[in-house]
Amino acid sequence: MNALLPSLPTIVALVKIGLLVGGLMTAAAYLVLVERWMAAWVQDRKGPNRVGVPLTKIRLFGLGQPLADGLKIILKEDFTPRHVDKVLYTAAPLVILAASLAIFAAIPFGSALPPIPALGLTGEEPLLVAPGLDVGVLWVFALSSIAVYGVLLGGWASNNKYGFLGGLRSSAQLVAYEIPLGLGLLGVVLAAGSLKLDAIMGAQADSGVWYAFAQPLGFVVFLVASFAEAARLPFDLPEAEQELVGGYHTEYSGIKLLLFLVAEFLHMVTAAFLIVIMFLGGWHLWGVTGSGAVETWTVALLRFGVLSAKIFAVILFFMLVRWSWPRFRFDQLMNLAWKVMLPLGLVNLVTVAAVEEFRPQVTAALGAGWARALALALPWGVFVLGWLAAGLLTPSGTDNTPIRTHGPLDVEHELVEV
Amino acid sequence: MTELLAGRTPGMTLFAAVVCAAASLWLLLPRGQGGRTERVSRWLGGLLGVAALVGLASTGRRLGGLGEESVFLVVSIVAVVSGAATVVCRSPVYAAIWFALALAGVAGVLLVLGAQFLGVATIVVYAGAILVMFLFVLMLAQPAGLAPYDRVSNEPLLSAVTGAVLLGLLTLAIGRMSAGPPICCRMPSKAAALAGTEPTTSPASAASDALAADHVARLGAELFGRHLLAVEAAGLLLLVALVGSIAIVSRGAADAGTAGGRAAT
Repeated sequence: MNALLPSLPTIVALVKIGLLVGGLMTAAAYLVLVERWMAAWVQDRKGPNRVGVPLTKIRLFGLGQPLADGLKIILKEDFTPRHVDKVLYTAAPLVILAASLAIFAAIPFGSALPPIPALGLTGEEPLLVAPGLDVGVLWVFALSSIAVYGVLLGGWASNNKYGFLGGLRSSAQLVAYEIPLGLGLLGVVLAAGSLKLDAIMGAQADSGVWYAFAQPLGFVVFLVASFAEAARLPFDLPEAEQELVGGYHTEYSGIKLLLFLVAEFLHMVTAAFLIVIMFLGGWHLWGVTGSGAVETWTVALLRFGVLSAKIFAVILFFMLVRWSWPRFRFDQLMNLAWKVMLPLGLVNLVTVAAVEEFRPQVTAALGAGWARALALALPWGVFVLGWLAAGLLTPSGTDNTPIRTHGPLDVEHELVEV
Repeated sequence: MTELLAGRTPGMTLFAAVVCAAASLWLLLPRGQGGRTERVSRWLGGLLGVAALVGLASTGRRLGGLGEESVFLVVSIVAVVSGAATVVCRSPVYAAIWFALALAGVAGVLLVLGAQFLGVATIVVYAGAILVMFLFVLMLAQPAGLAPYDRVSNEPLLSAVTGAVLLGLLTLAIGRMSAGPPICCRMPSKAAALAGTEPTTSPASAASDALAADHVARLGAELFGRHLLAVEAAGLLLLVALVGSIAIVSRGAADAGTAGGRAAT
């Protein structure tokens, strides 16, 4: 073969990247439509249902809406204020979008394809852009921490008080919730014994016990942290238009704003992928998909379908939560991260470590059935205890009355004293 | 300069490249002249820097396949150029961003070499945690613009020469060390030899070793087997630092609290 021609693995990787990016972008556009329908349903109105095929009267339930929205925001004036730092102002949305797309290099979007000898693919072809990456979970974690740069730079480069404070606020939020997120990840990695996301799915399929059932506390911690990392309600302080004058993208308009919004949306999709892959069994469904290697196309398609359906369900859950909870105040947000989620995550990690450490001894002493029952009972007991402790010991975080360190009359005392 | 660059021996090329790098760094470092002189010296420095890069690259050896080599070239040039830009930049925030890019380049080099965990950990630890804290401080510390002492570099000549000499020495040393197979195949085999699993020397088995499936598992066994004491000591050190910082913060809060209490009474 000519040395200049790309090799077969390169072509396969490029095809996967093309499919994934195309699919993600289309899905993001249509998920915005789904979100608007969901909002309309919750608020008891009709929602977008008019835009169909252009220049005709065909409506198609409003399926043309994403196209119209996209065209509108692309054609809007891309206004750059004069007081901004132009280079970083332009770079910030690119950084955040590039990071949120590059995450998907390590995230599987299915199980695998059976061998296709006609194309020269003799082995099972994993549905994952970088199957050789042995540190998939770390890669995801690394790139989600790169997203902070977009937020911070966008806020700083805007050279605007509201933008800057918004950038600091949301980057503090992202940095704080990375810790419970990492603790949730660690529990799963410890139980699965691998940093590869496809291996984690395989471990859940082999045992038949999804990690959401085996580590309920870790699941809750990870779920909350991923809501915060994706900046979705009730953690959407980064983009709270109503009382905080937007956030780091206050000064942005046109296509740069679109890049920020798409990146935010992709963060939610990533979070849904991770929740499903790490805690809800990935492509596994009892009695439907089986486990182990993929031999036929039916199995491959079934697994892809199950994974997609689960991810869609989690995304719907994200959207429903948006219309069910009020936004946290900043101190409540930080209290939740440092005083509730961090200890709970640590407790979960210790529980998982204990279960994994003593599983062989218990199996040897009492038999496999008892070992399995205990491995489920212990985490659930810890879950209930942890939940109770969190609820009883941290009541002030949910108290919505304003905090006053001084009473209204104390000001005068201070004046007298000074 | 051109005949120096096209020098017959690799040593001459390396020498020329190092001289170019020193001159380019000296010209590029902010010395606070301002105006036209500064613009001219920046252009000249940039050109010399490119010449130095070309010279250094020509002293290197072929790595292997075309794809691997092009990826390696791109990420290493990103790392080197952004490393230089980090020291040359006038604005601290830009310097931090260039540093982040340099880290990304280094992580890319590590990934190409097969050290996946190190590559990704570089991003997580440096770019994701430490540098974000830097940025916080930089952005909060100087909201009104740069202080004058931040705009010029201290001792531009000495630092440029030192950096260039270090660069030449390292290139020479690494070039001598890797007289055998290319570096990309050597490192993992060395790791395997350290781990005591398989003291292989043949490049083929070493290359397959680099992409072994249990890369992280081996690293973990090595860290928590032979180097357990060092890992524990590092963990203890971090814990002490954490406790210390919390103690400082809480003492500050307690002082503020007593001050507030005095004011209230």
